[in-house]
Amino acid sequence: MIKKIFILIISVICIQFYLNFSYAIDPEEILKNSKQETRARNISKNIRCMICQNQSIDESSASLAKDLRILIRVKIKDGKTDKEIYKFLSDRYGDFILLNPPLKSKTIVLWFLPFVLFFIGIVFIYYHNRKSNKT
Amino acid sequence: MKKQLFTSFIIVISLIFISFFYLLITERNPSEIRSNLINKDIPSFQSKSLFKNKKFISSDEFGNEIVLVNFFATWCKPCLEEHVYIMRFAEREKIRVIGINYKDNSEKTKLWLKKLGNPFSDVVIDKNGSIAIDWGVYGIPETFIVNSNKKIKYRLVGQITEKKYNKLMSLIKKTK
Repeated sequence: MIKKIFILIISVICIQFYLNFSYAIDPEEILKNSKQETRARNISKNIRCMICQNQSIDESSASLAKDLRILIRVKIKDGKTDKEIYKFLSDRYGDFILLNPPLKSKTIVLWFLPFVLFFIGIVFIYYHNRKSNKT
Repeated sequence: MKKQLFTSFIIVISLIFISFFYLLITERNPSEIRSNLINKDIPSFQSKSLFKNKKFISSDEFGNEIVLVNFFATWCKPCLEEHVYIMRFAEREKIRVIGINYKDNSEKTKLWLKKLGNPFSDVVIDKNGSIAIDWGVYGIPETFIVNSNKKIKYRLVGQITEKKYNKLMSLIKKTK
């Protein structure tokens, strides 16, 4: 019996994590065209909420996030491409608004420093272990 | 070889720590993001003016002098707190200040400015926040220094305090 209850609780938790619904979006924001709406959601998930900063505008209920979600939908309806929409936003708010910062000369350290540190760490461990084995 | 490797590892780790502590002790607000429009032309816009019967057209209003652009709203408490400094810019320093009234009630704004004094040469109505988005605004109040070539030279996010007022003044003096 206890085992069954345990499995049930675990299943509910797993389902909860799997169904990661966003509640920020208002029903009136949703576009009737499902393809366009999917595009809008995908773009929104990649745009940082400038007020909350650790959330995307898709998840944020901040007023600016809502304005940007509406703006993205207007631009999609106007026939703008995803690239044009990202450019429109990064022209105004900088690359910081993109949750995936582009690979540029300015961001090269951001992208490659973890790999460099990882490599240094591996080499350090290798030599350290070799020394330990000798002794 | 091993010694060199160890030294370089220590140098890298030390540099990371020094950068971390430097950023920790320097006076900066991590939530304050540098405007992407610095040294770029002001975004062009036109909208209704709160007190004038004609439309405010940005291309006609900038370019002759240094102008401060202040995004404000009557519902925003820091805007109320900083109003005294906006008045000081306009009255004491004779700097032209253009107010962008962000998502606000026009009648309330008129009463608010009547009560506190109106430092703005023009008050532009930004009913849906689209002008603010074009200027990369993310928090009210925000104040921009625009030079006589219509270029944005500085953006201050948040309320103007005595210290920030002095900083803005020194930047205005340096701005051409």
